[in-house]
Amino acid sequence: MDSALIWEMVIKSLVLILALLTGFAYLTYYERRGLARIQSRVGPNRAGPAGLLQPIADAVKLIFKEEFTPGQAYKVIFILAPIITVIPAILITATVPWGGTVTIGGREVMLGIADINIGVLYIMSVASIAVYGVVLAGWASNNKYAMMGGLRSTAQMISYELALGLSFVGVILLANSMRMTEIVEAQRGLWFAFLQPVGAVVFFFATLAELNRGPFDMPEAEQELSAGYNVEYSGMKFALFFMAEYTKMVSISAIIATLFWGGYRGPFIDTMPGLGPLYMFIKIFFILFMMIWVRASWPRIRYDRLMDLGWKILLPLSLSLVFINATGILLNQMWLIPLLSIGAGFLAIQAINLSLRRKENAR
Amino acid sequence: MTESDFATRLNDRFPEGVTADEREGYQGYIIAADKLIEFATALRDEFEFDYLSSVTGVDYPDEGKLEAVYHAYKTIGGAELVFKVQTDRENPEIPSLIDIYPGADFQEREAWDLLGIKFTGHPDLRRILLWEGFEGHPLRKDWQEAYYEADKKPFKSRWPKAEYTRAEAKNPYGANVKYPDKFDPEKWVPEGEDALYGSLAKYETTDKDGLKTDHLTVNLGPQHPSTHGVFRIAATLDGEKIMNLNPVMGYLHRNHEKIGERNTYLQNMPFTDRLDYLSSLSNNFGYAIAVEKLIGIEVPERAEYIRVIMAELTRVQNHLFAIGMFLNDIGAFFTPSLYAIEERELVLDVFEMVTGSRMMCNYLRFGGLARDLPDGSLQKIRDLVFDRLPRKTDEMDRFLSENEILRSRTVGQGYLSTEDAIKYSAAGPVLRASGVPYDIRRADPYSIYDRFKFDVAVRYNGDIYDRYYIRLDEIRESIKILQQAVEQIPEGEIQTGKPRYQMKVPKGESYGRVEGPKGELGFYLVSDGTGNPYRYHVRAPSFINLTAFGPMCKGLKVADVVAVLGSIDIVLGETDR
Amino acid sequence: MTTMQVLFLFFAAIILGSAIKVVTTKKMIHAAFWLVVALFGIAALYAMLNAGFLAMVQIVVYVGAIAILFIFAVMLTRKELLDKGAALNNNKTIAALISLVFFGGLLLLLTNWSGFTKMAPDLPEGDMVAKLGEALVTPNAYLLPFEVASVLLLAALIGAVYVANEARSE
Repeated sequence: MDSALIWEMVIKSLVLILALLTGFAYLTYYERRGLARIQSRVGPNRAGPAGLLQPIADAVKLIFKEEFTPGQAYKVIFILAPIITVIPAILITATVPWGGTVTIGGREVMLGIADINIGVLYIMSVASIAVYGVVLAGWASNNKYAMMGGLRSTAQMISYELALGLSFVGVILLANSMRMTEIVEAQRGLWFAFLQPVGAVVFFFATLAELNRGPFDMPEAEQELSAGYNVEYSGMKFALFFMAEYTKMVSISAIIATLFWGGYRGPFIDTMPGLGPLYMFIKIFFILFMMIWVRASWPRIRYDRLMDLGWKILLPLSLSLVFINATGILLNQMWLIPLLSIGAGFLAIQAINLSLRRKENAR
Repeated sequence: MTESDFATRLNDRFPEGVTADEREGYQGYIIAADKLIEFATALRDEFEFDYLSSVTGVDYPDEGKLEAVYHAYKTIGGAELVFKVQTDRENPEIPSLIDIYPGADFQEREAWDLLGIKFTGHPDLRRILLWEGFEGHPLRKDWQEAYYEADKKPFKSRWPKAEYTRAEAKNPYGANVKYPDKFDPEKWVPEGEDALYGSLAKYETTDKDGLKTDHLTVNLGPQHPSTHGVFRIAATLDGEKIMNLNPVMGYLHRNHEKIGERNTYLQNMPFTDRLDYLSSLSNNFGYAIAVEKLIGIEVPERAEYIRVIMAELTRVQNHLFAIGMFLNDIGAFFTPSLYAIEERELVLDVFEMVTGSRMMCNYLRFGGLARDLPDGSLQKIRDLVFDRLPRKTDEMDRFLSENEILRSRTVGQGYLSTEDAIKYSAAGPVLRASGVPYDIRRADPYSIYDRFKFDVAVRYNGDIYDRYYIRLDEIRESIKILQQAVEQIPEGEIQTGKPRYQMKVPKGESYGRVEGPKGELGFYLVSDGTGNPYRYHVRAPSFINLTAFGPMCKGLKVADVVAVLGSIDIVLGETDR
Repeated sequence: MTTMQVLFLFFAAIILGSAIKVVTTKKMIHAAFWLVVALFGIAALYAMLNAGFLAMVQIVVYVGAIAILFIFAVMLTRKELLDKGAALNNNKTIAALISLVFFGGLLLLLTNWSGFTKMAPDLPEGDMVAKLGEALVTPNAYLLPFEVASVLLLAALIGAVYVANEARSE
């Protein structure tokens, strides 16, 4: 390991972290403007031209807010929890490739931090420890709402990790690799979102649950639990939770783009590998819009229905998708995969509709 | 059955203990306190008066009497039956009707709170609107309000010649709280695990296997995003399941009725705006009807039409808002509510044009209206009711009603059976969504509602979904009425006689009620012939609909409580009065 | 000492220290948190042994699911989460003796075993994950133990469902 390589890693990591943190700030602006447009409002437009300085104003406000620690909170964990929440949110992007290999100053540089052979598994493991921050925050606040938020998020994340993991399996089968760059290269002909459309949808919803975003924003359910697990947090500690949520949105969008939407691939990418980050940005932008759109238009699912959906619909559906993928690959009839998976998706929708039929005095 | 037939039948059934109220201007029957339970049971089971609408009381210190006043109706329609029970002022005890009409629960508590009538047999006779340490019962005529009426004045600067005692000094808890001996709240720190878990382990049950389960007591409110104001829900939870639930209200209490007694009749008109501040014109309407019944004054044709138009527009905008906010309660991030508010603003534009105010309209007068429709306003209403509102209602229906998440959150949840709805005196959309086609506009028509063709919106499942959907139905029916009214409206006077600030109101009592957007809004007035009402009681639908809230929520999840509350559609200005 | 050895000692100390904390701390929730630390340490050891796949699975399964379930259960239990009695009882001397004998016996056996002092063979070239996957489904490698374990887990799963169902239907 020569020193230049270490420097390259450090610089790449720094650039990525800085990009993520700026992205987080401007994602809040993007979301607020997007929501406002959907709701026939204007949104923040006062700070700076077209409100572009709004994230900075928000940050300044949050920094100067009083840091409040409840008297009966368990202090160490109370302070540790926001930190534990932010770290996985940033770490999770480490294996995402942002482009091919480019030559900078006579040096071959891979656009991406780490390209390991278990990239997908790495994402799974980091995502699975992200729940700790929420649970610890809920527990350490010594507040009933926070506690319930923490409990909800635990159950929710464990349930949806299964559907998430099985959707990963589908992609791994199609790409025949767990290495993220090879998954991207495997989509050279056809993006997996077209080859396995239902898998892409299942993955999208599972990540929404993983992100605690509407319609699965159980842990913070404003209308029920006030703010859920972060109800006792204020000032920068709250800002860290906020930051974690939005950073995770960016990271997960990058992962979705990589796994299903061709990653950094796009027109002319082979001749100009520098275009990779641009394509990624465009794809992330659209996926983020989907998330904002979903949040703006759907009510929240009730907690027990959420579990039902996770265990009774999404888990069997994603299992069957794995089976369908394997069948298609084994028979070497790739056209079977989209056909059968759409059939399976249709069955799942019927199952959802069936469960919604009016029940006599149902509780 | 005619009025006299009924009187004969009642007389045969109760030869003793039931006498007609023969005071000048009064109506109904006076029941002996010991006969009340028997009378009420017979009333419900034999005479079909199955709906106890209002329970209140009046204080008559000159006769040394406290009187409880009940208004009962048949859910198949028809006029009211008023019955009263008189009791001694010093030791006022009346048997509680809670076993026969459970809907009397909160109203009896309110009568106890404000008038001090002890309802024997009520399982939970606590103060409901005032706080526990309050001294006296403010609606009694000999109770004096510290700042205005009492001899002792709180502030030297304002009453230089008066005695000075702070009202707070008189309350039975002294400085409000008492601590145990040798207890210093400043230095108290709960210790160890108790501090961490103590608040979570208030209740426990043991199942048959000897497994102990703690129940969590959670207060939703008073400060909570979805209680629609300062309202508290004290809930005992087993996991996320509601074991028990009590609504706690009164945070916004200002004793509307006491202030109403101090005002002149006309001064109360703008004051009714503040009850349900989302539908002030309906409140005006109910109050005007009650006073007009007392005075015996007719309302000109055109004024009646304008009243109906305004009342129905109020219903439309209230229901739009209710649907929007209900969607907000079940977690849709403001989009439906902002879409609803967009339409509501257009209706409020009409209100502003006609009445001069968007929310506190203060538009109706006794025997007419404050002013005629300004030029162009009728055209504006016409555009709304023939084009925009029907279109947008259909659009909301299309966007929301078939949404899977909305259906999964609401269908079959928060069930209120037909019997329970009547029993708990639920009113308005809550009652009709449980399959009772009871709409005062049809059941006991007031104003000119008998002229319009419209259907009484009714749905039969009694769940949250029906309570949501019935509001869309009612918007459509209201638009039907509006379309007819806008076409038929005649030219002419808008006020009988000259507009006056003060009028002569004869002695007597009256009960005026309208089908407000939230349910039956009734005003019970007693006049002693002076310029101010002797008694002014509001039958607030938001308040009484909450009686059924606890039973509806039992066994549901925490998230559903918010949805049920949203489906009842309360406004705290009216609940707490 | 090489860097790897320093790292090994560091992680081993973390694992041992947190494991001791797990059994000695009186608060159950703290024990659960220390367990999480220990599990992380083990994942780090796996990573040092070039077993990246195992390390990640360790985190996903043990840290991300099992430990969270422990914490979940502890959070839901009653307030008496404090281990009140003494951590040791009267039999502690005998227990210590027995464990010492066992430890000595194992040590003796291991030092006499030839494999104990031998260096592990170098890892074969190529994608380790693919090799692991192939080994698990190759009949003359680990297919049988793999399938037996699966069947065992499936049986446990069905048993759990049955027990839970019985409790509910009563």
